[in-house]
Amino acid sequence: MRRWQAVLLALGLLLPLAGGAAHAQAPLPPPPPPAPGNPAAARPPLVAELSHQRVDITTGFSGTELLVFGATERLLGGEGGDDVLVVVQSGAEPMIVRRKIRVLGLWFNGPSARFRQVPGFYLMAGTRPLRDMLPPEEREAKRLGLEHLPLQSLGIQDPDYRQALMKLKQDARLWHEEEEAVQISGARLFRARLPLPATTDTGDYQVQVMLVRAGRVVARQELGFRVERVGAAARIADVAAAQPVLYGFACILLAAFAGWFGSVLFRRG
Amino acid sequence: MQVYLPIAEMSVDAMLLLGIGFGVGWLSGLFGVGGGFLLTPLLILVGIPAPVAVASGANQTLGASVSGLIAQWRRGNVDPRMGLVLLAGGFLGSALGVTLFAWLRRQGQVDLAVSIFYIVVLGSVGGLMVRESVRAILRRRRSGGPARLHAHLWMHGLPFKLRFRKSRLYISVIPPMVVGFGIGVLSAVMGVGGGFMLVPAMIYLLGMPTAVVIGTSLFQVVFVAANVTLLQAVQTGSVDIVLTLLLLVGGVAGAQFGASMGTRLRGEETRALLGLLVLGVALSLLWGLVATPESLFAIGPIPT
Repeated sequence: MRRWQAVLLALGLLLPLAGGAAHAQAPLPPPPPPAPGNPAAARPPLVAELSHQRVDITTGFSGTELLVFGATERLLGGEGGDDVLVVVQSGAEPMIVRRKIRVLGLWFNGPSARFRQVPGFYLMAGTRPLRDMLPPEEREAKRLGLEHLPLQSLGIQDPDYRQALMKLKQDARLWHEEEEAVQISGARLFRARLPLPATTDTGDYQVQVMLVRAGRVVARQELGFRVERVGAAARIADVAAAQPVLYGFACILLAAFAGWFGSVLFRRG
Repeated sequence: MQVYLPIAEMSVDAMLLLGIGFGVGWLSGLFGVGGGFLLTPLLILVGIPAPVAVASGANQTLGASVSGLIAQWRRGNVDPRMGLVLLAGGFLGSALGVTLFAWLRRQGQVDLAVSIFYIVVLGSVGGLMVRESVRAILRRRRSGGPARLHAHLWMHGLPFKLRFRKSRLYISVIPPMVVGFGIGVLSAVMGVGGGFMLVPAMIYLLGMPTAVVIGTSLFQVVFVAANVTLLQAVQTGSVDIVLTLLLLVGGVAGAQFGASMGTRLRGEETRALLGLLVLGVALSLLWGLVATPESLFAIGPIPT
């Protein structure tokens, strides 16, 4: 439901642009660049927008989905057309990866590697596979794709730990790489889905939309949204973190009251 | 219906939690125990992180035991003096237990330690219960059954003797303190009230009359669980009140059904069934430690 509303909204916003595009579309090859010295005719090569600027985590939160959408000045996709690349990242936090080892037939948590900066959420999607869009040097320089994430580990320098981190994050639906392509419609509109699972981090998320032409990023736009706990969920987490003693007493009293009240209720009934 | 647990930072089906609460409450009403020893492993099984399951399990045990304590107190089945001695040991034990728990968490061994504690404790208690109840059933078949007199053990003669009027005992305070201390440690690490261990310890080790055992153990369980809740909230911040309340709603309803069914079962058969159940939980946890895990790695935040 929400997704379709978002799509409609996107189309509504972009209709003027798309209308303009219909005029310019008469010669099929990309239109010649606007004459220099005529700033009024210069249109941004890339316009992108998010369906939401805020995601609220309420007590009923079970994950949600955002939409990145936009339009480009030149034609998208096909032979020689431009490409769009979307990278979403949430704030980095330190993580620990532990290897399980078998001792006396039981599985223990054994040696561990610590990673200093691990994004809680990561998503990369493009109109085409990243390998076809950008050469390796460019991917590495711009740190695009999971394999170029700057994950420095402290202690053990075994690539297995990095691999395990990637796999477990992807299994948890927190990291996505090219699982779904950016959709193109009418050769100028694009949209990509951002699925956020219920376990997603709170905080600021950074969304980069890049326009790729002939193996280079020619334009980019930075967007962002914020994931926040609101209402009861927020208040509980805040009190528990800021006033643990108060929260502990509240838990005791609430549980005691609920137990007592429940038994009174059910005995009568 | 999905509900977001603010401390566990995940969303779980509310009906599932209510169902678990109801099932555990039903069993605890049937067998007259708190049910914490079933609840915590079940929560871990449905994917609640072990620290949250343990801390919230203790909080739930507190709520589930309050109404029982009130009822027993009204009937005069609580020995407050014995309760306070047990509690003094229990507070010390739970403080140590929570510290131990926080240390295990920093080492990354909480899940393993909780499982091992459960396997050892449940395995031995379950085995003893089954053995004892099978013997009692056999004895009943053979004869009318001798009345058990309370035996004087060597440890009752230790110094610091105190008169416990309600329990009709004049014994040293050291054994009850030690019992309370041990239950306190287990309560903090396993998220249980410890009633399933406290009751046999009071009958066989301390020699208390059965009439005051249930009420006095509930007294100890309520206050130790309250202490564990507070300490866990402060030291590990892993008490999830939303989880606790959902479990309590199901649990209180289930306990009423269980209690009315329990009156129709005989004591020995009930104990044998409970013993089998306890053994079953221990075996399934053991399997979880022995079986090759799906992923040979685990990730987590770096604990502070």
